This record gives sequence, C-alpha cells and structure tokens, in this order.
Amino acid sequence: MGRKLIEHPFYAIIYGSFVLFIVFPIVYTLGTTFFDGSSLAGNILLLDKDIFLLLVKSCIIAFCIAMLSTIFGTSLGFLLYKTDFPFRSFFKIALLIPLFISPYILAVAWKDFIYVFFNNTDLISSSIGVILVLSFIYTPLSMIITGSGLSNINSHLEEMGLLTTGLRSVVFKIMLPLMKPALLSSFVLVFIFSISNFSVPAFFGVKLFTTEIFIQFSAFYNHSLAILQSAFLVVICLLLLYADRKHLADASFLSIGGKGTSIRKYSLGKGLWLGWFGASFWFLISVIFPFIILFIQSFRGGASKFIQAFDLLKSTFSDSILLAFSGAIITTIVGFTAAYFSETKNRNFFNWLLLFVFAVPSVIFGISLIKFYNHPGLDMIYASYTIILIGYTGKFSFISAKLTANAIKQIPYSLEEAAQIEGIGLYRRLRTIIFPLIMPALFASVVINFIFCLGELGTTIMVYPPGTEIMPIKVFTIMANAPQSLVSSMSLIVFSVTLVVIISLAYFGKKFIRST
Amino acid sequence: MSIIELKNISHSYGNKVVLQNLSLNIEANRMTCLLGGSGSGKTTILRLIAGLETPQSGQISIEGELVTQSQKIIKPPHMRKLGFIFQDLALWPHFTVYKNIAFGLKERKEKDVKDRVYKILGFFGLQDEAEKFPHQLSGGQQQLVAISRSLILDPKILLMDEPLANLDVKLKRKILEHIKNLKQNFDLTIVYVTHDHKEAFAIADKIVVLNEGKIEQTGSVQQIQNSENEFVKYFIEF
Repeated sequence: MGRKLIEHPFYAIIYGSFVLFIVFPIVYTLGTTFFDGSSLAGNILLLDKDIFLLLVKSCIIAFCIAMLSTIFGTSLGFLLYKTDFPFRSFFKIALLIPLFISPYILAVAWKDFIYVFFNNTDLISSSIGVILVLSFIYTPLSMIITGSGLSNINSHLEEMGLLTTGLRSVVFKIMLPLMKPALLSSFVLVFIFSISNFSVPAFFGVKLFTTEIFIQFSAFYNHSLAILQSAFLVVICLLLLYADRKHLADASFLSIGGKGTSIRKYSLGKGLWLGWFGASFWFLISVIFPFIILFIQSFRGGASKFIQAFDLLKSTFSDSILLAFSGAIITTIVGFTAAYFSETKNRNFFNWLLLFVFAVPSVIFGISLIKFYNHPGLDMIYASYTIILIGYTGKFSFISAKLTANAIKQIPYSLEEAAQIEGIGLYRRLRTIIFPLIMPALFASVVINFIFCLGELGTTIMVYPPGTEIMPIKVFTIMANAPQSLVSSMSLIVFSVTLVVIISLAYFGKKFIRST
Repeated sequence: MSIIELKNISHSYGNKVVLQNLSLNIEANRMTCLLGGSGSGKTTILRLIAGLETPQSGQISIEGELVTQSQKIIKPPHMRKLGFIFQDLALWPHFTVYKNIAFGLKERKEKDVKDRVYKILGFFGLQDEAEKFPHQLSGGQQQLVAISRSLILDPKILLMDEPLANLDVKLKRKILEHIKNLKQNFDLTIVYVTHDHKEAFAIADKIVVLNEGKIEQTGSVQQIQNSENEFVKYFIEF
C-alpha cells in the first residue's frame, strides 16, 4: 500500500492531508472521549430516557422530511425529466434554488409569513415548522436524484410495459421499482441532512438532538457528553449510508439505458394544466414567496432597517465569497482525487473516509476540530480562516467525489490506456484527456460547493475564530437579539446575494463549458 | 389480405427526416422482413405500428381499424393486440421469468395465469427457469423468455426488432428455427426487422427493402435475390 501511494505523490499528498487535517481530529476527539474512562462512565449515566426520546423525536422528524421530500421530489422529477412539459429547462434550474439558500434564511421567511398572516408564530416554531422548511429545502435534492434515476431507465423497459398495460401500471409496477436505488439514495441523503441540521431547529427553538449537542457543548461545556450523544447520530448516518451503498452494490437490476435508447418522454395531454399548476405552485411557495415575504418585512417600516442590515453585512461579502471560492476549489480537488483513484485504480478507502466525515454531524465535526486544533502550536490554524476551510473540506468533498465519479465513469478507460501506451504520464493524461472530458462535472462541483460553503453554518458556527467576518455567522449571531425587521433584511440580503451568485454562475458556466 | 396498412407516413426526429411519405401493406399470417441499413427507418416503422411513436403525417390501420392518425394515437399500444421483441429484449430485470411472462395476464385480470404461463414455458423448454431472474439466464434463454412474454397475450401480430443481433451464429440458427415455427403454431403475422439479408432470406415470406426512409423494393425472397434495383443489388452483395 505504501509503495502504491508513493507511485502517485499527488494522490499521497491529498490523501495524507485529508487524513491528517480532517480524519485524525475526529478520531482523536472520539478516542479521547471514549477511552477517558472516568468521564465516559459519568457521561454514560447521563444518557437517560429523555436523551433517547429526543433521538427518537429527531429520527421521526428526519423520517417525515425524507418521506415528504422524496414524494414531492419524485413527482417533480417525473414532471420535469419524463414529460413534454414546456419550460422544463427553466424549472429544472429554478426549483433548485431553495437547496442553495441557507436553511435558516428560509426559516426566517416562513416565520415572517406566519407572523404577517396569523400574528402568532407558535405554529411555525415547532416540529411542524422544521418539517415544513426542511422539506422545501431538500425536495430539490430529491428531485435531482430521482430525476436522474428516471432518466437512466432503459426506455424499452417502459415501452414493453406500455405494450402490455396502461401508463399508471407502468409507472407504479415498472418504473418505480426500477428506480428504487435512486429513491433509496434520495431518502437516505435527505434523512442524513435533516437529522444533522442544526440551524433550522435552533432558529425555531425546537429541541432536537443536534441542538441538545450544541447546548452541552456551548452552555455546559461538557464536550465529552456532546460527543457521546453525537456518536448515536454518526452511527445512524453511517448505517444508513452503508445500507444504501450495499443495496446499490447488490442491485442486480440497476437499469441503465444502453446506447441508442433515448429517454422516453410522456405527453401530458390534458394533464398539462396540472403540470403547470404543480411546478408553478412549488416555484412560488419555495422561491418567490419567501423572497417577497422577506422583502415586505424588510421594508415595512421604511428602508432604514435594510440600510442598517446592509451596513452590517457589507464587510462580510468579500471574505465570504473568497472563503467559499477557496473551499469550492479545495473540495473539488479532494473529491476528484478520491473519485479518480477509486474509479480507475480501485482504491476505495479514501472515498469511504469522505463518506465517514460527511456522515459526522456538522456540530460534532466542529467540536472535533476545536478540540484538536485548540492546542499551543496549532494556533495558526485554530485562530485563522484555515479552520473554516478545513471544515468546508470535510463537509463537502464527498459531494465533489460523487459528482466527478459519475463523470469519470462515463469515460472509457481505453482512452487513458491508449495514451499510456504512447508513454504519456499520469499528470499529462489528466490534463489533456480526463479534465477536458469531465470539465462540466468539475465546474458543477465548484459551483455547487461554492454555494454550499457560502451558506454553511453547522460547522462554521462552532469553529469560527474571533473577528470572523462571514455572512452566515454574522446573520446568525445577530439574529438572536435583533428586531425581526433587521433579521428579515439581513436574510433578504443573503438570499439576494446567493441568487445573484447562482444566476451569474449558471450564465458564465454555460459559456465556459461551451468554450472548453 | 392486409392486416396492417401504413398510408403516406412521414416522420422525423428533429430536423432528420426518417420516413418520407411511405405507404406499406403487411399481409396477414405471413412473415414480412423489413430489410435495410442504419437510418433506413425500419425500426421507426415498427415503433409506429406499435403506437410507441406518432408520425408527423399519415395514418395506420390494423385489421381495418384506424389506430394512428397523424400525430394522434387513436388506440393505445396495449390495446393493439400485438407483441414486440426489442433488440435488447427489454426483460424487466426486477421480475423473475414467471413474473415477466405473467405480468400482462395479471394486468388484464385474466384467468388461469399460472397454467398458461407454465404451458408456454414448457413449449420453449423453460419450465425450470421460472423462478430465475433474467440476468441468471443465457442469451438464448433470455430470447425465448422475451418471445414467450409477447406470445402469452395471444397477439395477432408480432413485431421483432433485430432480435438476433447479439447472438452467436449457432444460437442464431436455433432461435431462427423457433421463430420460423411461431407463424404456424401461433397463427401469427410477423414483422421482422433486420439489417442482415441472410437472416431475411432464411425466414421471410416477403421482404421490404428500405433506404433512407423510402421503400426501394418489395417482393419475395427470390424476387429480391434477383433484383435489378441498383441499391438492392448493392445491399445484398455486401
């Protein structure tokens, strides 16, 4: 193994750095918690019935969100990927917007909405509010996963069904079972994102497992209990991801359309108006509506609060964008490295490490980084933005690996072998063959992770050094004590900045990919 | 007597014209081969007959009944009483052999499903494979399962889209024998698409030679073999 690593120094450096800077701190923190006999014994006694009830409550809420997101996401996926619905290209992009807006921003918008119409926020400041907001956020994720699953079904299998029975039976008895891996992946990913989410339950004041961990850490300074509690979440997430991967590996019936089989599109016919209603309604309530509500709330008493919010946030724009961009580049490099060596050299362990860190809840990942780096000699990491970049790399490299792996899979290995026979080395092969062929996936990885980094809060809130000037931290720290109109104004600004970034990247991205 | 009539059919994919004002009659209880190279439109004709696609213009009748009229499906695919064998067979990978074959019967709520499925499995010597999944079968067995699945619903017409394309020579011969016998045993009209003239000569009653969406020649095996048409001569020579 050692010799193999040295054969590819680039791989060894990335792999080694990931283990050293990210995996080791987590293992160190978990190890010192579990093997510190006295505090472990004491803390185990603190794991009472209430803690387990909280875990069950968190699981139930995450289950509801995963179910709702998968049901709505699959319906939208079918509409946009499998029918002749007009303007589907627009909706495919537009409906993704909530996924890229920080969850707490949408939480603010919905709280504002309930307040404006009912003058009472009790209804939304509850588990229902958490389910509602997170379902809106994760439905687009499910839509992409199931939409891609639907697109991958060999159209002949559907057509054979259509020759035998009606469309309804074909959908429920042929298409849905064939896309079971996509449905399962959607459910598992949304469940993990939901159970690990901290900002939305924290904003609504709903006591869940992640907020409890945060309280143990930040209010009672009981790090070991917080870590012990989070171990449950880590185990649940890892089990689910393992089950998902195992199912995918064992699925003898994965059905990918071969060459020459196109995606079958169904005519909506008289159902066109229903399709219009569904897509437009979802776009309205998940994108337009929160924006309008934030706008109304921000300018209710004039523009003063908005100006104040802008003054507070303007110092954060440059650092936030620079940090998010650096994070996106680093995560893409790490993700690509893991994916490339896993797909072409069958080295999967790095991929598993990315998955492991991804499954660790943001809060506990943050605690691990603090515990590890808060030591003399490591100040240059702990007291600088480097620790935030390490956080981004840990949280989002897995997403890059997934995106680039799918693209690498499409490239016949013979293309590289042909170059190898001509004596072209690895780095030149990467530069001249692989990168140009997977450029759209690399670009997508940079864009998606840029947006995720820009809104990341769960880990950043734990690790940010004093004097940090980045958007999510500034908004979240001010949120607790600021008047509602100021919170709405700040949220509106973050929402708008993210929207502008998404639209610009989509526009320039298309041009860039065309030019390459 | 014609069982399928295509009248003035034109069809295109985007800007690419696939069929140009094509008219064709398929006779009942005969094996008609659509012979042509890539892009000649032979698979499109099959898909139009099945109702899987709609032509830009023209009309299609089956047994004298109008089933498709320019851009409109009048009778949906599952009500046209026809079977279809795709080139990749399209066996549902999540169903066992038994379920693949029984699916249509169950959907139509027919009686004696089990007896009928085992009868047809027996006919093709597949009764021991009933509980296997498609990927556990050999290429030849998969072919026979696909044929069984299409025949179980007692179709009057069987459409076959290059069903032997992925088989080795020995297996091809064996399956060809089965296909030849289908016509008699099941009282079928078969429309068979191929790019291999030898395959067409071996089984066809009538051959339709297609070139770039137009019919070059229609005739018996002998007529095609002795054709004076330049394209046909060139096509069967290579």
